Amino acid sequence: MELFYRDALLLSEVSWHELIEDLNNAASFNSYCYSKNYYTVFKQILLSIILKKEIVLLDSDFTTDELVNLTGFSDFGSFEQLINKKDFELIQSKTHLIDRIKKSSTEWKITLFTSGTTGIPKKVSHRFESITRFVKTTTSENIWGFAYNPTHFAGLQVFFQAILNGNTIVRLFDLEKEQIINEIQNYSITHISATPSFFRLLLPLNKNYGTVKRITSGGEKFDKKTIQQLKPFFPNAKITNIYASTEAGSLFASEGDIFTLKPEVEKWVKIVNGELFIHHHLMGESASNAEEWYASGDLVAITDTNPLQFRFVSRKNEMINSGGYKVNPVEVEEVIRGLKGITDVRVYGKPNAVLGNIICCEVQKNNPQLDETTIRMYLQTKLQEFKIPRMIYFVDGIQTTRSGKIKR
Amino acid sequence: MLSELLLLINTVLSNRGKKTIDSISVSTDLRKDLGFDSLDLAELTVRIEDKYDIDIFENGIVATIGEILQQFEK
Repeated sequence: MELFYRDALLLSEVSWHELIEDLNNAASFNSYCYSKNYYTVFKQILLSIILKKEIVLLDSDFTTDELVNLTGFSDFGSFEQLINKKDFELIQSKTHLIDRIKKSSTEWKITLFTSGTTGIPKKVSHRFESITRFVKTTTSENIWGFAYNPTHFAGLQVFFQAILNGNTIVRLFDLEKEQIINEIQNYSITHISATPSFFRLLLPLNKNYGTVKRITSGGEKFDKKTIQQLKPFFPNAKITNIYASTEAGSLFASEGDIFTLKPEVEKWVKIVNGELFIHHHLMGESASNAEEWYASGDLVAITDTNPLQFRFVSRKNEMINSGGYKVNPVEVEEVIRGLKGITDVRVYGKPNAVLGNIICCEVQKNNPQLDETTIRMYLQTKLQEFKIPRMIYFVDGIQTTRSGKIKR
Repeated sequence: MLSELLLLINTVLSNRGKKTIDSISVSTDLRKDLGFDSLDLAELTVRIEDKYDIDIFENGIVATIGEILQQFEK
């Protein structure tokens, strides 16, 4: 039995054969994918490719309010469509399935949501080409540790890398440290792609894991200290840093913190006043694509010009990177302001050794009864957990900058 | 000291709607015994830093209450 997916939380294993059976037997398809079960998400994505239909991925922890804001709906049952078996060419084998995915229609697209810079999450769609741009073809039988949310861009990268090479996926996301170690060992995981926070929490380890050949990280700054600490526990792993965003997809890879541009990418990238701009040729589709060049909001320092090399310095806009999740303080402030008794609020990131940044807020209130618990209970119904401030400070006045903007 | 830490830990637990605990010891493991995740650990560091001006993760991630106390002795 050739393993396709292993999930320690669900105590389940699915073989490639079972995956193919499940796809062939699927009676219906829903273009909105809203599920906690990773295997269901994987299956839905594959079905959408086979059926040449768009798929919209929704985080399983979106609150009802967030779902309505993003899609206009809170329930997606009515989008379920029966599959017409006459149009469905049965999948014969693993190779046949991979071929079908590779020959994906140019009509197919996958849509996900990212925290927009204006406070309203933004819809971004990718075609097959932009989502698989960095997929490498290999003949080795790699075992992928899956350490991202499957409805996020980074998770999709790992999914397509694994599936297009016929590899095995082993879930590591949302597991306890002990479980993660067991899975790496028991399934001889060879590749792990995860945020720096994931690796920081894995440390220290008691022994080394020689099966791991490659460690990839991205989503936030991969600090040298963490890289140094990881090396002795993964003696055979090459450690790489990836620059990717939901809007642009995966763009550059580096060893250490200096990114070197490949010649074929260089003409689609420019740096103006220290900010990285990406040409729309390299981007997914969203409303902001009207501009030829996309302002990434990432500030970089050029370290060499031939070939172009740079490292990331900081963010230009206000997005807070907390454990690899980008949080828009404006979005959180808007929600908090909606609570009666609150007169003003400031949301900001505070540097933190575990998450890179932790979300904090200062609140000014005119209702003495309003306490932290009430605010938290309210926020839990309105926002995904990673967006909810971990520290709430009650203050008499909110600091503003001279232009009257909230100071972060 | 232990009772003050217990108070901070219970604040973190109740903020996430998790069950609070009655006691801790030096061998209590934050993740294994108390079910802390990365968000909880991050919050605890800030609460300790706000109160004692000590960054318990300055030299890497700590696992147990005993290891936190060691950071205070440094």
